[in-house]
Amino acid sequence: MNKASSIIQIENLHAAYGRSEALAGITLKIGKNQRWAIVGPNGAGKSTLIKIMAGLLKPSSGSVLLNGCDIRQYSSRKRAHVISYMPQKPDGLIPYTVYDFVMLGRYSLMGLMGVPSKEDREVVAEAIEICDIHHLENRIMSTLSGGELQRALLAGAVAQSAPVLLLDEPTTFLDPAHERLFFDALCRLDVKRELTTVMITHDINSALYQCSHIAALKDGQLLYGGSTGEFKKGCPELLEQIFGTRFMQFNCSELSAEAYGSWGMKCLQ
Amino acid sequence: MGDEMSSVKRPLVVLISLAALTSAALLICPMIGITLITPQKLLTDENLGFVFWSIRVPRVLVALFAGGGLAVTGIVYQALFRNPLADPYTLGISSGASLGAALCIIAGVGGSVAGMSIVSLCAFAGALGSIVIIYCLAFTRESNSSTLLLAGVIVATICSGFIMFLHTVGGVHKSFQIIQWVIGSVDGASYSLLVCMLVPLILFFAVAGVLMPQLDQFLAGDSIAHSRGVNVKTGRIVFITITALAVGGIVAVCGPIGFISIIAPHACRMLIPGVRHRLLALCSFLLGGTFLIVADTVARTIAPPSEIPVGIVTALLGGPFFLLLLFRKKSRLLM
Repeated sequence: MNKASSIIQIENLHAAYGRSEALAGITLKIGKNQRWAIVGPNGAGKSTLIKIMAGLLKPSSGSVLLNGCDIRQYSSRKRAHVISYMPQKPDGLIPYTVYDFVMLGRYSLMGLMGVPSKEDREVVAEAIEICDIHHLENRIMSTLSGGELQRALLAGAVAQSAPVLLLDEPTTFLDPAHERLFFDALCRLDVKRELTTVMITHDINSALYQCSHIAALKDGQLLYGGSTGEFKKGCPELLEQIFGTRFMQFNCSELSAEAYGSWGMKCLQ
Repeated sequence: MGDEMSSVKRPLVVLISLAALTSAALLICPMIGITLITPQKLLTDENLGFVFWSIRVPRVLVALFAGGGLAVTGIVYQALFRNPLADPYTLGISSGASLGAALCIIAGVGGSVAGMSIVSLCAFAGALGSIVIIYCLAFTRESNSSTLLLAGVIVATICSGFIMFLHTVGGVHKSFQIIQWVIGSVDGASYSLLVCMLVPLILFFAVAGVLMPQLDQFLAGDSIAHSRGVNVKTGRIVFITITALAVGGIVAVCGPIGFISIIAPHACRMLIPGVRHRLLALCSFLLGGTFLIVADTVARTIAPPSEIPVGIVTALLGGPFFLLLLFRKKSRLLM
């Protein structure tokens, strides 16, 4: 991948919580219109990496370049024009209607008084349509189920109209049906816009079949960063190296082939 | 479809109803007192005219802006700290103001400057002093809403301890003055005091009014607010500072009147759930202002010829009213 096509460039990134090192020299290039999955065991540094990419945490050294410019040089609003971040779950109960919450995503594009324009309303309507949450528009966010909440959070991030979407474990609390709905929304989004997505996931099969690229972390180090096709060739040995446990390849029947392709990976412990 | 219509119309109906209620309170409450001043008496009796225009009207206006202002400051703190119980009390601002006033009373400093008593000015300084201390405590480590709130609770507790100490050693007369001040009251309101209170309050309304969309983001959480383009650290400092100025102005004139900054916002959230902060603030201003006007009218008429401090009435009326609202709606605090 050449430099011109990469939208995010991570260079020798180090991060630490006190004396505990969370990231140890990560270097990665993320190209435009790619969908990346960040995988790795707990404590590998996945959330730290995505939060640094979102500008929520500061690295101890190294840099994250956004369109060739250090993310720390972006103002809050300018950064929001390029990167949109969806947390794993909100910090607390959100007391707005779903429509109003999605409209909050337009904040960085509105004027000082925050009055929505016709374009803002159209973008919000499109985000609601993509995420298939018409029927929830007038519901209060704090009354939604886990699956509904994740799609509403995604709609809020989509309404921001940023070309980069960072998702922190978006499907962790979802059952398979809601997980499928979530990925369907992402696919509709890819069709409508040129979007670069980076998501943390613990579901290896989702990473293998829903994402074009994989970044695998262990103990703060990047063990693999490249295309999913190459990653598949190294399985299951690569997965065993990352997670420290045995994996086996299984062939799917027609039931799951539709969702995941013809085979998957299963943890043996 | 019916639900959609009601979700659009309901906030408007509530806003118009509250505006009507506030207008009624502004018109009727100045007439009520130990002597009932009807429009006819107002035109014929010069003395009653003086009582009406120079005592009761400024008092009602001070109650409107103090009650309304406290309600809006409650909204700001509750959103900023994502805590339904956050208000100027929990953040220690009211306690700082009370300590400033108590110190002044104990020192026996009298007189006034620009229509404001020295006690009131000390209360204002106490409110600002407490916010400076909270900042210093909170910013010794990485600041977030929890550390700020905890710092506020600690400052409030320390101030309360000092007030109790001053109350104990102050002698009968000064102790009584401290107690009177700490309960909160709008008696002694005048146009000059109203102006003194309005200066920081208008600054607060203007800045907060413009920044309300940012407050919407704060309530959604720091990480979401940050992602949407809010400078979380700067935004929090701006909101806390302008709110401290407003609370300082109100407390300097009325003393620390409790409950309104908690009940008015939550009552409005229950009446119009899901609305964003600009409309919520407008409704809460009207409800808080009306509530304090009515509470003050009760306070000055319930035990004639003496008046009881309005802080007692707000606690006794507000507490049960809030409980009633909470259980009748069968809902929890919507935040």
